[in-house]
Amino acid sequence: MAERYLILEDGSSFKGEGFGSSATTTGQVVFNTSMTGYQEIVTDQIYHNQIIVFSQPTIGSTGINHDSYESILPTAKGMVVRDLASISKNRQRRLSLDQFLKQNNIPGISGIDTRYIIRKLRKTGTIKGSIVDVDDDHAFDQLHATVLTNQQVAQVSTPKPYPNPNTGSNVVVIDFGLKNGILRQLSKRDCNVTVLPWSATAESITNLDPDGVILSTGPGSPFDLPETVLDMIREIQSKVPLFAIGLGHELFALANNATVTPMLSEHHGANHPIRQIITNQIIFAAQGQGYAIDAKSVDREKLIITYVDLINGTVQGLRHRDFPAFSVQFFPDAAPGPDDSLDIFDEFTEIMSTREE
Amino acid sequence: MAKVVVDAMAMQRALTRITYEIIEHNKGIDDLVILGIKTRGVYLAQRIASRLQQLEGSEVPVGELDVTMYRDDIEHDGKENDPTVTAGSVTFPVAGKKVILVDDVLYTGRTIRAALSAIIDMGRPESINLAVLVDRGHRELPIRADFVGKNIPSSQKERIRVSVEEIDGRDAVEILHK
Amino acid sequence: MVNQIHKVLIIGGGHTDIGHETELDGVIYQTIQTFQRLGIKTLLLDNNPYSISLESVQPSNMFIQSVTVDNARNIIEKEQPDAILPTIGGLLAIRVTQELLETGVLGENEVRILGMPPLALQQISNPALTQQFLTQINQPVIRSQVVKDFDDAFDVLRDIGYPVIIKSVSPWGDANRQLCENEDQLDSALESGFEQSRIHQCVIEQSVVGNKEIEMVAIRDKSGTKLLISGIENMDPIGIHSGDSIMFVPTQTLTDREFQTLRDATLSIIQALKITGVLHTQFALNSETHSYYVTKISPYFDRSVSLAAKATGYPLAHVIANLATELQLAEIKLPDNYAKQIALMEPTVDHVVAKFPLWPFEDVPSADDHLNTVMKSVGSTIGIGRSTEEAMLKALRSSQLSPKDVLPQIKLNDNELIDQLIHARSTQIFALVEALRRHYQVDELSELTKIDPFYFYKIKHLIKIETETIANPMDAKTLEKAKYFGFGDGMIAGMWQVSIDAIRTFAKESQILPTYKAVEPTAGEFDKVSTIYYSTFETENESKKLEAKSALVVGRGGNQLGPNTSADYFTVSLLNQLRKADYKTIIINTNPNALSLIPQLSDKQYVDPIQLGDLLNIIELEHPEVIFIPGNRHYLTRELKKRRLPVVVLPPDQEAGVELSEQANLELSLFVTDDEVTPIELVRLLSGDHSNQLDQVSGFKTPPTLSEDEQNLIITQAVAEAKKRNLRGLVQVLFLQSQDQVKFTGIRPARLTEIAFLNKVTGVNWIRILVQQKLGLLSPDSLATFKLNLHPDRVVLMQFNYPFNQLRVKNQAGSSQQQVGAEIAFGSTDEIARQELSNTEQKNK
Repeated sequence: MAERYLILEDGSSFKGEGFGSSATTTGQVVFNTSMTGYQEIVTDQIYHNQIIVFSQPTIGSTGINHDSYESILPTAKGMVVRDLASISKNRQRRLSLDQFLKQNNIPGISGIDTRYIIRKLRKTGTIKGSIVDVDDDHAFDQLHATVLTNQQVAQVSTPKPYPNPNTGSNVVVIDFGLKNGILRQLSKRDCNVTVLPWSATAESITNLDPDGVILSTGPGSPFDLPETVLDMIREIQSKVPLFAIGLGHELFALANNATVTPMLSEHHGANHPIRQIITNQIIFAAQGQGYAIDAKSVDREKLIITYVDLINGTVQGLRHRDFPAFSVQFFPDAAPGPDDSLDIFDEFTEIMSTREE
Repeated sequence: MAKVVVDAMAMQRALTRITYEIIEHNKGIDDLVILGIKTRGVYLAQRIASRLQQLEGSEVPVGELDVTMYRDDIEHDGKENDPTVTAGSVTFPVAGKKVILVDDVLYTGRTIRAALSAIIDMGRPESINLAVLVDRGHRELPIRADFVGKNIPSSQKERIRVSVEEIDGRDAVEILHK
Repeated sequence: MVNQIHKVLIIGGGHTDIGHETELDGVIYQTIQTFQRLGIKTLLLDNNPYSISLESVQPSNMFIQSVTVDNARNIIEKEQPDAILPTIGGLLAIRVTQELLETGVLGENEVRILGMPPLALQQISNPALTQQFLTQINQPVIRSQVVKDFDDAFDVLRDIGYPVIIKSVSPWGDANRQLCENEDQLDSALESGFEQSRIHQCVIEQSVVGNKEIEMVAIRDKSGTKLLISGIENMDPIGIHSGDSIMFVPTQTLTDREFQTLRDATLSIIQALKITGVLHTQFALNSETHSYYVTKISPYFDRSVSLAAKATGYPLAHVIANLATELQLAEIKLPDNYAKQIALMEPTVDHVVAKFPLWPFEDVPSADDHLNTVMKSVGSTIGIGRSTEEAMLKALRSSQLSPKDVLPQIKLNDNELIDQLIHARSTQIFALVEALRRHYQVDELSELTKIDPFYFYKIKHLIKIETETIANPMDAKTLEKAKYFGFGDGMIAGMWQVSIDAIRTFAKESQILPTYKAVEPTAGEFDKVSTIYYSTFETENESKKLEAKSALVVGRGGNQLGPNTSADYFTVSLLNQLRKADYKTIIINTNPNALSLIPQLSDKQYVDPIQLGDLLNIIELEHPEVIFIPGNRHYLTRELKKRRLPVVVLPPDQEAGVELSEQANLELSLFVTDDEVTPIELVRLLSGDHSNQLDQVSGFKTPPTLSEDEQNLIITQAVAEAKKRNLRGLVQVLFLQSQDQVKFTGIRPARLTEIAFLNKVTGVNWIRILVQQKLGLLSPDSLATFKLNLHPDRVVLMQFNYPFNQLRVKNQAGSSQQQVGAEIAFGSTDEIARQELSNTEQKNK
């Protein structure tokens, strides 16, 4: 395998071995500290335009599995790992990570001091980086010159509505960069799902007469989306049970006048205790966020803070006082990550079923 | 044979949802008081009150209503004759308050009717809302719950058993076949 | 915290044995420290002479008695503790507490059980109740059923499917478990099974042999907050005892779904049992069907819990002690060197830990070294690295004492090799390496061994690097790669046939330098989280030289038969004394169960192979003022001395100044300084076969029964012999008493086991005195008040324990080299002391 480099905006360069695609890419460099589930992570659309550094040192040891896709076409810009295990060995694992990344035009680089980079990123904050063949001045110039798109949601959201028929509650999912886990959980609960593009209007949603609406996870900044999305949320929340996740949660907060701010360094992992305020219980969940809601800005007359991260203090869940509308910052669908909060989907279906009557 | 229809997690969730619905419905917890019908209704009332306190930071008073019935109310195994409900331990006035009445199972509605009379005897509340963990149907009076944990359509030949951690050592709702 | 808990009785684990080493003493020690901070008084029942815990409680709270129900009851009745803690003394403590509960002793004396409710204690103590409990909470368990005829059996079979195991119920003789994979095998197994059964019955049981064996360790607090500390993956499949398997943290071959399913199961079990402490679960996982079975639940501290703590850097012992008092996770105050949020975070690690077993077969050659469901290993070593290869290689380097030859060839023909692959033996890892060298296909190997192909690819990679290294001597890139994947200086020197110094010089010239990473549970989220480090060859080095003057202590490595447990005790005492002498202390060790790796006992811990290159790397970073090396490391000592490093061999090397004949049965210990010879204790050496052979010594007793004249003769002669020689420190003079005479037979530096015995008998910590002497800090009058007591009012007896039963070999008189642990007893007479030890023997049967 070829020698390649990971170069960072701050001028540092790390030599490693290339795997996957040999493309040269540029993206925001973020890290994920989950200990399992590299396939789920790299296929999660929230990593659109990002280069992911894995803290788990050995990556690739379970190959590529049919039930571990969080989207069919991953759009991450790279994987940075310490130790690559490129394994494909039986029917279930016919594809290795290396082959999968080649097919999807995503480069990987192994043999990197990922612990060092992660410790560094925690201090510098999220910065740009490239995976390149040569770490010369030209490469750095290119890196500095590259402007990353702010049209991430538009690029990953479905262009057309599509159904996922079933016999239970009628749910509309707004796709801001949908993670399959959400569909998987709805499907387990027999929900009849229609997925709409991110730009769906309140009218097009209510036309489908949903029992509930989900605002999905997605990549990038909530500020990159137009005001019309917030208008849609304000209208829908007053009409139908609403459940927002990740980027959806940030949008829900903005629609209800809370302040959202970028975090110094993005937090991706599953090790933070999250307190559910109402029961005082502590759960663990997969988290992946670059933005956080300012707790002080939350209008307590309008919203209730329902979950808090006990390590960095960020607001992890909100609920509207007047409507059955709620949101979580973390990913309750797990995949990858702990199942402790899967029952938020039950909460949602129970709200739908008790409101139906 | 007992079949678990609501497990511990689901019961927690139902109480959580009911709590949010109470806030939603009452626009907050000002002037709210909770009355639980003995025995298990009291524990459920206390749990709702502690949830409200977690969220809103202030205490909601909880009172207890005593039911005298000719049968053990644990198992709800027969139709109730008109029971007598008395203020077991209600240390606060209910006049002008928004009362949330809490029971574990809503069945014929006769217990609730008796409870309503008992409450009104104590003073005239602003409003009374009913929260139940289980609504099993078979109403004999025009009474409905405002907040329902779970609707469990059941035959009169079946019994519904609600267990709570505080006295039964576990949380569950089960259907027992006679 | 639970109200009114002021006094807790801790049930100790007794002598170390196959299955539990020093980790129990370690967790008891840390619990006592934690309880002290919480204002709780601790009573301790244990009789392990190598225990550091017994030295950390007030003498009046220390009950050096065998761990039996009777002794525990007496203590409870006399001392009236508020509570009993059964979860840190292994299965023995669980059993004793369960019996105290059942017989009503706990109830009558109002003693609460800490760590789990009484119901849970019952549920885990009775296999039938355990099955019933797991079934109730919808956890899959391995099904088994008693059948009376063929029809019954096939009914069950149709239900559970192949493979099944047939066992005869109440057999006439020794009956085998027979594995059946088809109708023919089942027919014949049933036929013989029924025939062998006195009552014509068989048990038919679902077989999970060949499934992956996965373990999980979780904790829970009173309020129901639960978190997973770590998953552990056994490289070997079900069928080989997990204690004998090579293990990895974190799990290496599980998908997220598989991992989360087992995490969920573990958390729901700990919740249902209402444990306030730790739970270790074991699973059989079928990675083709993604189905699993719970095979074991252990809500107490054991070696897997210990491994999880060591591998993650999570302060587990401290947290468990707090949880037992019903404090909540969010309320726990951690020692200063941890970020305060750590207790509440699920550990997430960015390194790989491999654990390799160590075997007793050199010391007990008659034992069969085939690996099966009975545990045989006596210790283990861990290797930590940033790749699976590096971790494996470092563990492997630590698991043998030779400085080279890590991937040796094994001399077998193909048939023998295949036989070893199918029926694993203690040399399994070498058979795997050899098979790959002979280009066996990975899929075929995986089929034969039921080991995940992942591991074969990793081993293959190591072989490839080895081949490349041999082909490219003194090539910088090759060296860099070899080191990156865990090859040590000694190995590379061997491959390139140059000296270790040549390798080291070349590496430095080529800028191939070790970097140290912290073992900590947050993947770098907090800066100050750990004092534990391991080496790798990357970009950033996190270990900075300690500022004050430091002392490096070289640990003993993995546990083996012989005096190793006492060596660990010695090492800890050494660390303590060095601290008292104002040194910052640094330990290097690879034994995951070692007392000496407890973070609070030294300022810095390195988990790296105890080999010359790795040691020199640490020395070059830390520049310790003094380096303590245990007496059995002759090669290392020689090499370090050659480099003019400040080496102290302590305990003194048995090779230095030993003069022995083969026989002795009396021993006078002396402390020798330049000016003085102080007699310490007169001890009778006991040999199991009464041969008086020194290598057959299996215990000690004091006082020996001797006449006044004999005593005087021994003391006078011993002092005279000691003065003739240049030995310093603790010296033993040996005598043989036969019929009517006592004659001098030898002199030697004191041995580890005896030092532990002397400390317990005299109440003086002789290791402190030894360290002070070595450091020149011993004041001339510090021994002035010490007086040899020839007429004590009690008898002290210490006896070694042997692993013969467990290893299924004929019971025999064991030698000191074969000891797996020891027990000590105090009594007013010989008889009472002897009684106390035989108590334990009874209990062990």
